[in-house]
Amino acid sequence: MVGLSTAWFAVDRGYMFGSVSIGDWTAWPRAGTPDADPYSLAWLARSGELPLGAGEGIAFTAQADHDGEPLAGNCVYRVVGQTPAARLWTLTAYDSDGHLMPNAAQREAFHSQEILRRSDGSFEIMVAADVQPGNWLPISRVDYFKLVLRLYDTPLTGGTFGGSTMPEVRREQCR
Amino acid sequence: MRRTMPMRRTVFFVLGGLLLGGIIHIATVVMVPYFATDDASTLMRQFGRADVFHVLPPAEAGAEPLANLDPKMLYAVCRFSLNDGPVRITASLPEDFWSVAIFDRRGRNVFSVNDRSAERSALDLAVLTPVQMAQLRQDPPAALETAIVVELPLDSAFALIRVFVADASLLPGAKANLETADCSGTL
Repeated sequence: MVGLSTAWFAVDRGYMFGSVSIGDWTAWPRAGTPDADPYSLAWLARSGELPLGAGEGIAFTAQADHDGEPLAGNCVYRVVGQTPAARLWTLTAYDSDGHLMPNAAQREAFHSQEILRRSDGSFEIMVAADVQPGNWLPISRVDYFKLVLRLYDTPLTGGTFGGSTMPEVRREQCR
Repeated sequence: MRRTMPMRRTVFFVLGGLLLGGIIHIATVVMVPYFATDDASTLMRQFGRADVFHVLPPAEAGAEPLANLDPKMLYAVCRFSLNDGPVRITASLPEDFWSVAIFDRRGRNVFSVNDRSAERSALDLAVLTPVQMAQLRQDPPAALETAIVVELPLDSAFALIRVFVADASLLPGAKANLETADCSGTL
């Protein structure tokens, strides 16, 4: 029982080892590669996820805001700052099962070429269920959601993460 | 003495139980990939037969072909096997970002390349096992000169092409590009 339940817990929680955290974001660069550990292989087999390879890019996930509070659909979040160098990036909001959330604006993601930026190149994306000015990424009023920032064709896949800055996920207000 | 005997027995059983639990834990985790029914290669079967690229419907809320897809990308997938010989994967793809990845039977991303590192807009991969490569070295076919050679000890596998779609108006073009993808060729 001990063995089965700890195994289920470990596999169900997802990637446990080999994570890289930058600010509010976490990535698992070795997950889904031939050198992955048995836990992430087991998780991969159960989830059916298709991880990005080193030649494609890297996916960073945020499940909590800058203060460590889980991301909730009834709050407004400000994703502000810059991304590491990449030819292309996309920011997508998913519910806790990895599904896109239906919304009237029919927008589920932003990419780096369509975003409004400040003069210094930094950007600000408002993540909220209600309409926001500027770059608005709509979500549903779910209990939990996650943000995935995918950097495509980036030197980060070479494995050097030092000095990289990621945008901050700041909570504004909740209701 | 009489009191310590049951104590020792309890400690023995607890330690034995934990040890057994540990063994079961490791065995379970290692076995999961062999028994999983929702792994990526099984999921790919839903899109149709092998040796053909299938363009997945665009990922939209409520109608996603798979979970955790990037809605800014359009995907095409082909299941293939190297058991009957090498496989050649070709496609003429757009000038913007695209990438292709090869996944083994257990869903591990074993090879990937993007349009910049491939240094061409036409995708041309020759996928073969080290044994097949050794056999071809005697009399290398012309395709090996031009294609990107992917030498991997694979049996069944699948290839996934993703193409960046900057906005909805580019979707038909991206779909047409992905429809040129072919994985039925051999060397």
